[in-house]
Amino acid sequence: MGNELFLQTMRDPLGVPFYPIVFQGLSVMTFALHIIFVNLVVGGTIVAIWGHFSQHEWMRKLSRSLARITTINISIAIVLGVAPLLFVQVVYDPLWYSSNVISAWWTMVFLAVLIIGALSMYVFYLRRKGGQQRAGLFGLITICCLLVAATIIHALSMQALHPELWQGWIFGGTDMDTSGWGLHAIEIGRLFHFLAPALVNTGIFLMLYAWYFEKRDDVDMMELQLVANLGRKLAFYAALVTALVGLWWLLFLPESLSFMTDPTIHSGILLSLILIAVLYRAGRAPSQYALLCGLFSFLTVFIMTISRESLRMAYLKPFSYSIYDYPQTTDWGSTILFLATFLAGVGVVVYLVRIAFNAGRGEYAA
Amino acid sequence: MYPIFEIPVVGGPILMAAIATFHILPSHLATGAFWMTYFIERKAIQEDRPELLEFLKKFSLSILIFCFVTGSLTGVGIWFAATVISPRAISGLIHTYVWGWATEWVFFVIEIVAIYVYYYTFGKIAPKLHLRIGFIYAVAAWLSMVIITGILGFMMTPGKWLATGGFFDGFFNPTYWPQLCFRTAMMFAIAGTYAAVIAGAMKNGGRDTIRKISGRWGLGGLAAAGLFAFWYYHSLPTNAMENLQSIAYVEIMYKLAIVIAVVMAIYFFLLAIGQGRFVNVWVGSLMMVVLLAGVVGGESTREFVRRPYLIPGYMYSNQIIGHDFDARSISSEVERFNSKGLLASHPLVPTDLKAITEENYLKTGEILVKVECLACHTLEAGGRNSLADILDGIDAESAYYLLEDLERTYMPPFAGAGPERRAAANYLAVVAGGETGTADWVVAGE
Ligand code: HEC
Repeated sequence: MGNELFLQTMRDPLGVPFYPIVFQGLSVMTFALHIIFVNLVVGGTIVAIWGHFSQHEWMRKLSRSLARITTINISIAIVLGVAPLLFVQVVYDPLWYSSNVISAWWTMVFLAVLIIGALSMYVFYLRRKGGQQRAGLFGLITICCLLVAATIIHALSMQALHPELWQGWIFGGTDMDTSGWGLHAIEIGRLFHFLAPALVNTGIFLMLYAWYFEKRDDVDMMELQLVANLGRKLAFYAALVTALVGLWWLLFLPESLSFMTDPTIHSGILLSLILIAVLYRAGRAPSQYALLCGLFSFLTVFIMTISRESLRMAYLKPFSYSIYDYPQTTDWGSTILFLATFLAGVGVVVYLVRIAFNAGRGEYAA
Repeated sequence: MYPIFEIPVVGGPILMAAIATFHILPSHLATGAFWMTYFIERKAIQEDRPELLEFLKKFSLSILIFCFVTGSLTGVGIWFAATVISPRAISGLIHTYVWGWATEWVFFVIEIVAIYVYYYTFGKIAPKLHLRIGFIYAVAAWLSMVIITGILGFMMTPGKWLATGGFFDGFFNPTYWPQLCFRTAMMFAIAGTYAAVIAGAMKNGGRDTIRKISGRWGLGGLAAAGLFAFWYYHSLPTNAMENLQSIAYVEIMYKLAIVIAVVMAIYFFLLAIGQGRFVNVWVGSLMMVVLLAGVVGGESTREFVRRPYLIPGYMYSNQIIGHDFDARSISSEVERFNSKGLLASHPLVPTDLKAITEENYLKTGEILVKVECLACHTLEAGGRNSLADILDGIDAESAYYLLEDLERTYMPPFAGAGPERRAAANYLAVVAGGETGTADWVVAGE
């Protein structure tokens, strides 16, 4: 593009109100939480559909349960997605905005399919609760919508990582492209590496589900064991697939990024190997290993999210774009407002979740 | 500066308006409804009336689905639409108010956890505890309104922020308090209207009680909102008032608002005195639509008032920074573009389009017009506020003089160096189907 520093001139002249690394940290943390719930939504929908079409009564029951939980997880995934969306715009504004404008209509499609997908999940859940069994179609609609949404948001993120191509996308044709219909950068390996863990985390979720309900005396232990076993198997094989896809994608990353030598990706790989080992071991008594598996999966996702950020920084190095030198006008007042609210908010959420946790142990999910 | 997104014929602002209109119902419901829920649940516990709890269950499920799927996604939708239509304005808001939004997000998280816990623990935990969860939700939802009102008000009247650039100087802006009071009052009116809809769907007892409560809440909220609207109106700065008086649309909206207020007041009154038997789901929904029409009118007036700015006193509607902002050492881009050229300053314009030549003058003219005018005009004949229609048949030279003196109370000046103005004028002539200039004229002025 001639001028390698053009990204810096696109930064917002108002600057950022606090240390950029804090926004980066918040963005990584909230993204990790967001993607875990996205995993649960995608995986939960898949298993719910599978259970719906299954011959086994326990699978059908599980399907109903999962459909209900998925409606909740969708809302949580949405609200958790808002935070990284906000923070990315603080420090990576030139990238995110350019990518969005180029694909303007796709951002609208993204939201439309999410609304359709979420509402049809509600139909899938409420109809079968009322006894109607012919609701499978709605589950299928949901999963299609989710996959379209995943592909779009993936492309938006990838486009943001290739500033050197923007000019060609916009001015490459005979006319300037202002249509908002461009969708230019899809990297199948990376997209798959985001989708495959859906089954890992959903599998572990099923193990946790069994662990949670085991404590109640009105439950069918046989059934819970079936659920836990299914979850363990699902998580184990999906984890293997995820790891292989990850390696394959890694091998095809441009060498110039020198990502293979990145310490965060090494930690991520190490953790995922431990997770696979724990999942293997969990074959003996799946529900007893549920918490441990959950812990390692969370850590793996968290470290992988850090290495996703590290990869982004590598992509942007040739443009001399570093968020750490973003002009800053510190505003303590509003920073404290947020931090105080955040801490209080965590307290309130913990309080509420504890109530729900205890109440739920008193009743089997219908 | 960013790439451009063009919506032919209808124009970008309509997309924003469409999503925003859709978002109004769920967002107001999400904030208002639970105060009423809290009140009714307390009554149900005190007077031991389980049928009221039945109502609450239905009521909260409908809010849960409607507000936390459609509502939150259309909320994100407004954000995305604003992003693709005016990325620099959203950027400016975010770089000023990121902690405000992040704070609002915390309340949003609390709301969502609270409402699910509330719904799924009906009848499973001690009634007092359940009541408290509803209260937590109501407070969190209202606090999120306390925050967002500051940012909405800022977009209209940035107040002292223009001098200091400080977060709270813009947050507690001249219209903050009247707006917060007005919105709070409206929140109760909307909650009342919605409760009447749900009551209309009920069969058993409890229905009449709910109707009376919704009538009373609606009437109280509406009356208070009327008073606060008066205060709000009188807190508007003079330039906003001038804008209001010069736009016919506002006049219509004003009259409409009064008619709607009267109709709603009668409706609430009938409900409150127990004459609400005619209110089934359909009548209730119709009244909801009537009320929302008023809200839409009010919100869209807010958009008109800020013209020609996105952030008054700082950034024009076409995302060009129009004035020096000394508190942050930012200088006006209009002046810079006038001396150095807009194309030369645009980071994404390729090298061969930075200077105007005989080869590129059509293409560059198009870029200039699209960058500077699409925020408020379309180019197609018959389109919304269409330049083809406004300029019908204009020749390039006249268009050039027009651009020289474009600034109006509702429109920013044209920014660009000499040949850029001629290139833009030439393209306008193309759009308007008038006599175009020669390449020589565009490049060299003769
Ligand atoms: C802030 C929004 C905004 C922008 C940006 C804008 N206009 Fe306008 N323009 C308006 C409005 C509003 C009107 C009044 C329309 C009406 O009277 O119905 C208007 C009217 C006009 C008129 C008629 C003027 C008159 O006095 O009757 C012309 C010519 C015009 N615009 C040209 C342009 C051109 C060329 C550009 C780009 C360089 C532009 N406008 C950018 C909002 C804008």
